[in-house]
Amino acid sequence: MSSVSLNEDQRDCYQELTNVAMGQAADRLARLLDAYVVLPVPKVNLIENSELHMAIQAAEADAAVSAVCQGFIGAGIAGEAMLLFNDTSFADLATLMNYPGMNNPEALDREAELELLMDVSSLLIGACIQGIGEQLEIHFNQGHPVVLGQHCLASDILKSGNHQWTKTLAIEIHYTLEHVNIDCDLLLLFTEDSVEKLNNVIDFLLD
Amino acid sequence: MTTPTKKTKVLICDDSSFARKQMKRALPPEWDIDVSFAGDGLEGLEQIRQGNGEVVFLDLTMPNLDGYGVLEVIRKEDLPAMVLVVSGDIQPDAQERVRKLGAMAFIKKPIDADKARTVLAEYGILTEA
Repeated sequence: MSSVSLNEDQRDCYQELTNVAMGQAADRLARLLDAYVVLPVPKVNLIENSELHMAIQAAEADAAVSAVCQGFIGAGIAGEAMLLFNDTSFADLATLMNYPGMNNPEALDREAELELLMDVSSLLIGACIQGIGEQLEIHFNQGHPVVLGQHCLASDILKSGNHQWTKTLAIEIHYTLEHVNIDCDLLLLFTEDSVEKLNNVIDFLLD
Repeated sequence: MTTPTKKTKVLICDDSSFARKQMKRALPPEWDIDVSFAGDGLEGLEQIRQGNGEVVFLDLTMPNLDGYGVLEVIRKEDLPAMVLVVSGDIQPDAQERVRKLGAMAFIKKPIDADKARTVLAEYGILTEA
């Protein structure tokens, strides 16, 4: 297997492409919730799969999360988007989305949480993937979202991945909302084989 | 007879070198300009104080001093700069904040030649030769 690498110009380019895509996703979330989404600098790293749990924000590793993942593929580039949603976020999210039982967090059962989780993840994942695709002029087809778990440890979810590749290009976006307790991590993981092709596209943009 | 006109000083302020390049490429080729670059808000202000930023394309999310901070200083010190914000953060709040801080226009990333030309024409920065 070829050894993949990432130089500074390429990293900068991935970061900027992600910036634009996550901004588009944040805009949709902000309009849906009528709130301001704080946009961080996305982290771009080429890492071993086994290091994945270290790539996400340390604070999240031992937090209880619910997670969804969704595969995407296009132009020979494949990957997986994963949304790790901090469990403490559900109460505020339900309030902002005017869910029944919003004044009583106890009433927010697993099913309602699942619905919220699916709504937010399809919005964030879809907008991000399409945003990156548009800039690269690649149409990504998205697979069905899969719930990886509810109320689990983030580190366990990341460990459970039975990926075929060993190295991955990982892009991490840590979304938080202003004034409310909503906090999630969006990870975009590209397969090892895709990185070389992606780098070629990026080099073309950088030229 | 044509009189030699002074070139417009344009500053591109963005922490991403890819974004700076993309911005420069999007500018109309016939526009008679001197282009300078800055990699963060502090560098940007320095260039503006030196007179290199008559027209500034300003990113919002930057290290050291972000775009909002740059706009505040420009207003406080009444620096001569027409600022067009070019941002990936396109939330309604972000657009409103920069308008209040005195930015002339808000351009959504990714920038391209058509968008640049439209905005420059709209604000009379680029006039037909």
